[in-house]
Amino acid sequence: MDAALRAIAVPRRRAILRLVWSQELAAAAIADEFRDVSRPAISQHLAVLKEAGLVSERRDGTRRLYRANTESMAELLAALDDYWTSGLERLRDVAEAEQTRKRQTKGHQP
Amino acid sequence: MTELVREILIDATPETIWPFLTDPEKHLDWMGTAAEIDPRPGGVYRVLVGGQHQSVGEYVEVVPFEKVMFTFGWEQEGNPITPGSTTVEITLHPEGSKTRVQLVHRGLPDDATDDHGKGWAHYLARLDGAATGKESTPDTIDSEEAG
Repeated sequence: MDAALRAIAVPRRRAILRLVWSQELAAAAIADEFRDVSRPAISQHLAVLKEAGLVSERRDGTRRLYRANTESMAELLAALDDYWTSGLERLRDVAEAEQTRKRQTKGHQP
Repeated sequence: MTELVREILIDATPETIWPFLTDPEKHLDWMGTAAEIDPRPGGVYRVLVGGQHQSVGEYVEVVPFEKVMFTFGWEQEGNPITPGSTTVEITLHPEGSKTRVQLVHRGLPDDATDDHGKGWAHYLARLDGAATGKESTPDTIDSEEAG
């Protein structure tokens, strides 16, 4: 998870991810989209994304093809979702216990 | 930008819930292992989670018994949710003797997929579906035993 978060922290890598989100592309085609950076730099970004599990790589002869691994993206979001969901559930539990205590105290008052 | 929306119905009044959002000690009852919070505009929000993950932010808006809004991020190096980059808004909506608590986390890094109108928003919708599906109802009536 940390690797995934680090991977998408870099704008260029998010741009690459966007590119291969709905289509599989060869490394060369991806590099062509970013003329302002060298091919080795793009390869490096792809390696980081692959390492983080955000893109998957497939070989076709000498070509390397990449596409976004959408399940990993969902995982990233699911972690945050879980953080708040479980937080709110704990908030409910402690607030309801407090409310019950208050209601009982009030009930016992003359 | 994607926003994450979560709601929960709590059988307590906003007056009962409010201190859990604004009192540092009470905050720890439901979130964090250490909390330094100063709930007024410009005040600090620092909640340590699991003893190692430091979330940090600053209060933007505080309306007693109704709303807290603060910026939110993780101090951890390399985390894309950097301090100040997102906001969390928690609102309390009375419903009879209960309160609906809504949490909206805005500004999440969804730009990986924003162009095509899917991506994270799409997965959020799916997650919402999953959450609704597993929502439990109170076990008030059990199947009666045949006598």
